[in-house]
Amino acid sequence: MTENDRAILKVSELSSRAIPWSRTLDVLIIVVAAFLVWSVSHISFLLLGGDWDFFIDWKDRQYWILIIPITTIIMAASFQAIFWNLFRLPVGATASLLLLLLGTWIVRYHSWQGLAYFPLSLVVPGTCLMGALVLDAILVLSRSWLVTGMFGAVLYGLLFYPANWIYMAGYFQPVMNMGDMTSVADLIGYTFPRAGTPEYIRIIERGTLRTFGDTPTWVSAFFSAFVCIFLYYMFWGLGVLACNARFFPVGERFKLIYGNKGKAAGKAVGAAAAQPGAAS
Amino acid sequence: MSLHRMSLRRFGLSILLAAMTAATTLVSLPAAAHGERATEPYIRTRTVHWYDVTWSSEKIGVNDKVTVEGKFHLFTDWPDAASKPELAFLSNASPGAVMTRVESYINDMPAQQSVRQLEIGRDYPFKMVMAGRVPGRWHLHPVLNVHGAGPIVGPGHWVEVTGSAADYKLPVTTMTGEVIDDLQHYGVARVQWWQAGYALLAVAWIVWWIRRPLIVPRWNAIRKGREDLLITRTDDRVAAGLLVLVLVVVIGGYRYTTQKYEYVVPLQAGSFKTKPLPQVPSLVAVEMKDATYDVPGRSLRLDVEITNQSESPMRLGEFTTANLRFLDKSLDVAVAGVDPSFPKDLVAGSSLKLSDSSPIAPGEKRTLRIEATDAAWEIERLVSFLTNVDSRVGGMLFFFDAKGQRHMAEVFGPIVPVFTQLQLAQSH
Repeated sequence: MTENDRAILKVSELSSRAIPWSRTLDVLIIVVAAFLVWSVSHISFLLLGGDWDFFIDWKDRQYWILIIPITTIIMAASFQAIFWNLFRLPVGATASLLLLLLGTWIVRYHSWQGLAYFPLSLVVPGTCLMGALVLDAILVLSRSWLVTGMFGAVLYGLLFYPANWIYMAGYFQPVMNMGDMTSVADLIGYTFPRAGTPEYIRIIERGTLRTFGDTPTWVSAFFSAFVCIFLYYMFWGLGVLACNARFFPVGERFKLIYGNKGKAAGKAVGAAAAQPGAAS
Repeated sequence: MSLHRMSLRRFGLSILLAAMTAATTLVSLPAAAHGERATEPYIRTRTVHWYDVTWSSEKIGVNDKVTVEGKFHLFTDWPDAASKPELAFLSNASPGAVMTRVESYINDMPAQQSVRQLEIGRDYPFKMVMAGRVPGRWHLHPVLNVHGAGPIVGPGHWVEVTGSAADYKLPVTTMTGEVIDDLQHYGVARVQWWQAGYALLAVAWIVWWIRRPLIVPRWNAIRKGREDLLITRTDDRVAAGLLVLVLVVVIGGYRYTTQKYEYVVPLQAGSFKTKPLPQVPSLVAVEMKDATYDVPGRSLRLDVEITNQSESPMRLGEFTTANLRFLDKSLDVAVAGVDPSFPKDLVAGSSLKLSDSSPIAPGEKRTLRIEATDAAWEIERLVSFLTNVDSRVGGMLFFFDAKGQRHMAEVFGPIVPVFTQLQLAQSH
């Protein structure tokens, strides 16, 4: 235990009896919170953006780059707000994306490969984990949700494409199939058939956005970054709403044991947590 | 009821719930079928009629090939409730990727992409070459996915794949010369290693924060205005270091990758157009006068007016709809038209019953009653056409001339259900 840890415990006025139990409570809450963050992040992503990341031959250069960051930042921002406002823990975004990635791989192995026989090369997922780390790091450095949204959310959207391109570029090498040029990703999608996923629903690219380097990729990445700013603020606000201390177990005995004596304490925390960027 | 009994009941219910959860999540098994009977009858009877479909083999080894080929006719009385085949994709239905698609063609044109502007009333030949991948007995259908109408499934045949799934390999060489040993594993390790690296950074970051006094102490510290204790100068340095590390890894990795893969292409998605088979002048004119479905008798009765416009006598040999085939078993040429590989469960056991089975003379106009009776109407879940919004039925009639040559004609029109038993009961 560091000097800083001792100082925190001293300030928190925990009774000597409660200190070891406090650590036990930490472990229990971490386990419960992990499942909560995991399930909410996963369900939210499945509902809003899942299809766009299921298959390697759906990872297109316009919509995949746009949709994945903006559908994952909403949970990242919400959990970041909750953990920050209640505990000044800058791990909400990272935890959300890390657990989403873990859950995604479990489903890929169990359901996609195990039950439907799809090869993993067809269903490798992308991730916004690097963007989430940046989001949390900027929150620590700035102590401000406003600054985090302005810079962190932009980097969150921008980093998705290059961070995933590092290991996915190989899938976009040209290859010949039945006399036509196609990409390795297309060939994988064609070879391992999905009865309910006809090819025509992949015809999505519209117009020309080839301003930068003859590809619309970076245009999509910048637009995604732009949208991420607004979604970050919106869902940070939602996270703050969820912090309302009225829903916490603040009975008299609980307060007594954990150093929160007096009814006013709980209300004060609730009011403080309800202020977006209370620590800014 | 005593408290003890209630607790026991709750305990029992909890155990049951836990067992059900475990059964559905841990012991879940793949489905062998894929809902081919679930599509509404109005789509199956009045959109795509598959015929002359054959399977080259019933048993193949892993990596061996099976060819499914035949023709499909796009029905003239295409239902209003389903989009016209302006954009379609030839695929196959099987339970997951148990077989891989090697080649597919519509009218000899490669069909790896979608086909546009198919013409209603016309016929198209198709061919699919599949390879065995996962051992087992699999139901293999051709499917035409029609944009706005959904998958329209052709007849399915059981194909047994033998051997070991571990033997399946699909080597590919890219146009840049990279040799891929096996497409089904390509790039997976690279993705996993990189993502594991990202995850390691994330875990390190989370552990950095949760290793210290956490929930209640931090909450209290905030309440008491001492949040300065919660994020230290060291935390700032770690966060700054993490930020720099992430940017260096991503930017450096991206630059390295773009140099390594100099030639990449975007996803290739699009459509092509192909011609139908040449139109054959219709030598038999068919007009439906009346159609009823005998619900308890499981019998479709059609009254049709047939005009033989050819110079040869004609006999009706087959009525087919929704992949079901009803044959006049007294006509050898019709029976011989069923390929040995065609699924037996889709050929009605009873013969097509005709009010007059004698040949229709050239130029003759005859009204025939056709009865197609079989339990397959129920088994194939086709009788729900009685509840469709437009209550119509359609199918193909196959006539045979004196030389045994086949002539096809569409038959379609409104249909009325006959609840015979109910009517009898009411009359009593």
